[in-house]
Amino acid sequence: MNLRLIGCNFRSAAVDLREQLAFDAAKQERAVNELAARFGCEVVLLSTCNRVELTTAKPAGGRPFDRDLCAEFLSEVHGVAPERIAPLLYDHADGAAVRHLFRVASSLDSLVLGEGQIAGQVKQSFEAARRLGATGPLLNALFPFALRTAKRVRTETGITKGHVSVSSVAVDYVKQVFDTFADKTVLVIGAGKMGRLTLTHLKELKLGSILVTNRSPERAIETATACAGLAVPWDQLDDALVKADIVLSTTGAGEPIVTAKRYAERVAPRRTGTQVILDIAVPRDFDPGIHDGDRVCVFNIDDLSRVKEQTLSVRRRAIPLAEAIVESELKRFADDWTRRGHGPVIGKLTGEVDKLRTEVLTQLLPRLNGKLTDEDRKQIEGAFRLFQNKLLHGPIAALQEAGKDGQSGTLLESLKKLFRLE
Amino acid sequence: MSFPPADFRETPLENVTQACFGLSYFLAFGLEFAVLLRPGKALRLAGLVAGVAGLVAHTIYLGFHTPNLAAPGASLLAVAWVLAVFTWYGTLHHSRRAWGIYGWPFVLAILATARLAAIGEQTPAILQAPAWLTAERFWGGFHGLLVLASAVGAGVGCLASVMYLVQADRLRRKVAPLGGPKHLSLERLEQMNRRAVNVAFPLLTVGLLLGVVLLRQGHDVLDHWWNLKVLGTVGLWLVFLVLLYLRYGSRVSGRRLAALTIAAFVLMLLTLAAAHPFAEGGSP
Repeated sequence: MNLRLIGCNFRSAAVDLREQLAFDAAKQERAVNELAARFGCEVVLLSTCNRVELTTAKPAGGRPFDRDLCAEFLSEVHGVAPERIAPLLYDHADGAAVRHLFRVASSLDSLVLGEGQIAGQVKQSFEAARRLGATGPLLNALFPFALRTAKRVRTETGITKGHVSVSSVAVDYVKQVFDTFADKTVLVIGAGKMGRLTLTHLKELKLGSILVTNRSPERAIETATACAGLAVPWDQLDDALVKADIVLSTTGAGEPIVTAKRYAERVAPRRTGTQVILDIAVPRDFDPGIHDGDRVCVFNIDDLSRVKEQTLSVRRRAIPLAEAIVESELKRFADDWTRRGHGPVIGKLTGEVDKLRTEVLTQLLPRLNGKLTDEDRKQIEGAFRLFQNKLLHGPIAALQEAGKDGQSGTLLESLKKLFRLE
Repeated sequence: MSFPPADFRETPLENVTQACFGLSYFLAFGLEFAVLLRPGKALRLAGLVAGVAGLVAHTIYLGFHTPNLAAPGASLLAVAWVLAVFTWYGTLHHSRRAWGIYGWPFVLAILATARLAAIGEQTPAILQAPAWLTAERFWGGFHGLLVLASAVGAGVGCLASVMYLVQADRLRRKVAPLGGPKHLSLERLEQMNRRAVNVAFPLLTVGLLLGVVLLRQGHDVLDHWWNLKVLGTVGLWLVFLVLLYLRYGSRVSGRRLAALTIAAFVLMLLTLAAAHPFAEGGSP
């Protein structure tokens, strides 16, 4: 097959080196063109925040594109010493390269198991290389297979089930309580990083209004402006809590800002409907005793992290099935590729024997001219065709069977010699 | 024009029994349960087909045995039919939600109650069609239909309440959103419950008033005030009134409202299962 996959990922290289080896779109285009031209090979370059991988396919003969050449090339492009790069690179050939690519596309090799972006990134890398004319028969066959494998893994296993970020899990909980969001009010308490991230996710639900409060009025105004909300003075926190359907709390306070007593006295009696409190502050801002699962649902950072772990655990259970799919697709690809490799030889063989049959018939039929009816001619031609098919069936079947075992090379050479197909 | 037409009356369809649709609904429930354990289109489709089969058998049964709404078993069979249609539609509409696993047992429970209520019952369960639509029986039939419609409303409210209690319990225990079947949101279930009760209450009120008027015309009201059905209906009306007061006049938790709605429906079932005051003196 002469296929190589060389690169580094979050396991083999530290983040600072990965940052140095990353390609932006323009750099990636130049690198693909340069590699294809310099080494005369098919190339696809995958560059994400967690990996840089070069998949190359080269016709037989010549020095293969190996780890050292790759390190030299990356060094040339990024200005990092090759000695620093080479030890961190993994180098997979043929079947192992196919397996690695299929596992990467299926997110089995991702930092977050089952993450949904990698298949799209593999597809984009392949499309970019194809547009540049850097792909050929092997990579044009291989990458669609990888994407199909990724799709099978995604749909036939539970590997993408649930969410694995705290902010996404928080939104999942909110959706368990509310059905419509255009009439809902969100109160943001504090202005932590995690809070802003969660608010970004919540805003995708098309919320009615956003209130922001903070001990520092300036920071409240700043955050409110950033999220198109309304700043509320800190001393009106209880009133804001009464109005809010969803509360997102991320202060850095050293002790709870809303105790069970305060909530029961000042908020609960004035409220109707269920309230969801996402308390992602550490230490917690709301007393967990407020939670009753009916009128108030309080989810703190521990609850959300626990769900995240449960989700990952569910995804991990899908790994054996996903690996089995990768193996079965790997075998299918190998069979398919071998069949494609035999195609020209089988075509030539059939053509040669066809030519012989026609020659013999051309000599025979004129000699029998006048003695044969049209029906007789058809019978004779049919018999010769049948004889040809039966004669070729054995060698072709043997070649295909040997191809499945990966041992068709010798047989292929023998056939070429026996039938003088060179 | 009668249903079914005269030439269909002597057909094998006449042999459709309560067991036919009861078993079909049970199968639909089983398949719905199987979908939760092992999601798949084939199982889901099979569940929908079983539900349709049950509905067809149920409809044929009601068509051949026009129910006398004054007869306990028959009125419950009619309520079960409407709720079966509601459950089947919900299963189709909320394809990714746990709906059928609540709806089908609910329908089966009503059918079982209908079966129990029919044992030893004196009132003929089948009307001599289509006598109930004639002028002299119109108001009696209308009264029956109103009570039946309010029972359906209470049934929908009860179903929503059961789902609400389950969902609230999942939230109380902070069950991971990816674990187990997906449920409708608390907000949606509360809305469903509220609308069902809001519709059921006026229907029950009008039905009850009509019943009192009919009792006064044909019988002495005082002779029948102690009748279980009359007492139950009045009690039910009061429960509905309390339910509406608690919802709109007082800030009671959703769990309590759900529990009260379930209690109201159980009372409704008992009322429908009780003997009608007209049973001794004729039929409405």
